[in-house]
Amino acid sequence: MEMSPPAVKKSPSPRVLVVDDEALIRWSLSESLSEAGYAVIEAGDGASALAQASNGHAFDAIVLDYRLPDSNDLRLLERIRGLQPAAAVVMMTAYGTPEMTSGALKLGAYRVVPKPFDVHDMVAVVGQARESARGF
Amino acid sequence: MLLDPERILGAIVESSDDAIIAKDLDGTILAWNASAERMYGYAAAEAIGRNVGLIIPSDRPDELKDITRRIVAGERVQHFETRRVAKDGRVVDVSLTVSPIKDASGTVIGASTVARDVTVNNSRIQQLKDSEERLRSIVEAAVDGIIVIDARGAIEAFNPGAERLFGYTAAEVHGTNVHILMPEPYHSEHDGYMRRYIETGEQKIIGIGREVTARRKDGTTFPIHLSVGEMTLNGHRKFTGIIHDLTSRVAMEEQLREQAALVRLGEMAAVIAHEVKNPLAAVRGAIQVIGTRLGAGSREAVVVTDIIARIDTLNLLVRDLLLFARPPQPHPIPIDVLGVLGLTVDLLRADDGHGNVAVTIEGEAPHILADAELLKIVFLNLLINGAQAMKGQGEISVHVSRDGADCVVVVTDTGPGIPPEVRGRLFTPFVTTKSRGTGLGLSTVKRLIEAHHGSIRVDSPEGGGARITVRLPLA
Repeated sequence: MEMSPPAVKKSPSPRVLVVDDEALIRWSLSESLSEAGYAVIEAGDGASALAQASNGHAFDAIVLDYRLPDSNDLRLLERIRGLQPAAAVVMMTAYGTPEMTSGALKLGAYRVVPKPFDVHDMVAVVGQARESARGF
Repeated sequence: MLLDPERILGAIVESSDDAIIAKDLDGTILAWNASAERMYGYAAAEAIGRNVGLIIPSDRPDELKDITRRIVAGERVQHFETRRVAKDGRVVDVSLTVSPIKDASGTVIGASTVARDVTVNNSRIQQLKDSEERLRSIVEAAVDGIIVIDARGAIEAFNPGAERLFGYTAAEVHGTNVHILMPEPYHSEHDGYMRRYIETGEQKIIGIGREVTARRKDGTTFPIHLSVGEMTLNGHRKFTGIIHDLTSRVAMEEQLREQAALVRLGEMAAVIAHEVKNPLAAVRGAIQVIGTRLGAGSREAVVVTDIIARIDTLNLLVRDLLLFARPPQPHPIPIDVLGVLGLTVDLLRADDGHGNVAVTIEGEAPHILADAELLKIVFLNLLINGAQAMKGQGEISVHVSRDGADCVVVVTDTGPGIPPEVRGRLFTPFVTTKSRGTGLGLSTVKRLIEAHHGSIRVDSPEGGGARITVRLPLA
């Protein structure tokens, strides 16, 4: 049973969920996105990401690592998209195949960003993803 | 009872398997035994009184005269091989022993001829000759080298197969010690091996066969399977070596080993990629954030910039390794080679340090089925190699043409060319002539071209420079 999408609540700053098991990546993204005006929520694995996505708060953007301790395919993306259909999703991967990339884009990810990346570029990509999501 | 010597002799003559005849000096037949009747088909009654020319073939008119002259001189003619003609026209091979018959005063008055039929014998010899001819034709036609040596190692026979394999003619090596066909250490040790075998009879190779290395006339070596047989000829020990060239099999095994190694490398690279790139991302992100909090232009901020540059270099290295170890599957579409080359030159221009390299592109540009992104990597690698070889100064000319079903791209530079010691290993991964570099460039280029069912060769023509020829199948 799919849960129904949570009701959108007005938030002073855009909310972004950063999902990665590497603490330093979460930290650097959290710091850069906060500086850019986002309210950042972190998750270290797929289960906590799903918990965050389904707790009733809408996210404006989600930055999601492909490979997590409890997730190694695109099903997590699919479930998160179901729970947060309005959120712009940017995926990160240390080693992406063309198949994985095209699969992620088909499931509605805005872009798959290869690791390592420039954190400022990532902030910019998240902004573009939000604009693109609002455009739909 | 007294035996009459005349009768005894008569009985011996009659019972002999050999044809025994007597004739006078004119050749008139005086006696004709039972075997002569059988051998020549004439009854004694028919033959006696006629000239012996009766049974002499017309192609030997002088034979009787010669024999008679020798008999008159008192000689005996022994084991004279000739032919006689029987009554029915059959030719009989005979071995003659002709002895003078003398009268009481010792004067030669005639001759006795004992003729042995050697026709059977001759046909046996012919059979042996035929058999030898058959075996010889097998030896001559064999692709394998076949060599016979004596017990001291001297070469006695060297078939055309061996001539082809070793580059020596049979005449050149006849009588030479077989160790000239071996590289060290076998070259020096072979005489000892043979001595030991002859002394102890302990078989190390005879009847077993072994893979060894052989040496051609030009000094190059090649892998062979050697089987050795032993024989005794007229009481002398001989050894026969059969040499099967393993070059292509060894090359194929090498290729299979390389492929297996590449598969393993690909698996390893995927793991490394993930396990390296993830921490790189963590370190790069964290240091970048820290860098933004340092005073702009401070010493620490500069160091942070340097750290990030090092991390990016490390990341490029991992990317190159991945590209070689797991080249992406090409997604071919019809593309314009000249267009891709033009874009590649732009990429070279964007790269630092190649400012003084002039690149010219000319020729026709047939469309080919290829992955443009991968071809860009191929051409960029070739251009960068040329530019680096020329130390950033010189000309690279790219010529595109069509040759049959191929599009041919020839990249020529005006650099120093390729040192001879590197030529054999140009496409070997992790071998580089540069003080820094992974040695993956040309290896990756080759893999990407082969993924397009194309080929690449590198020449270092007289007069310097390097010439790289890439062939890609036309669309």
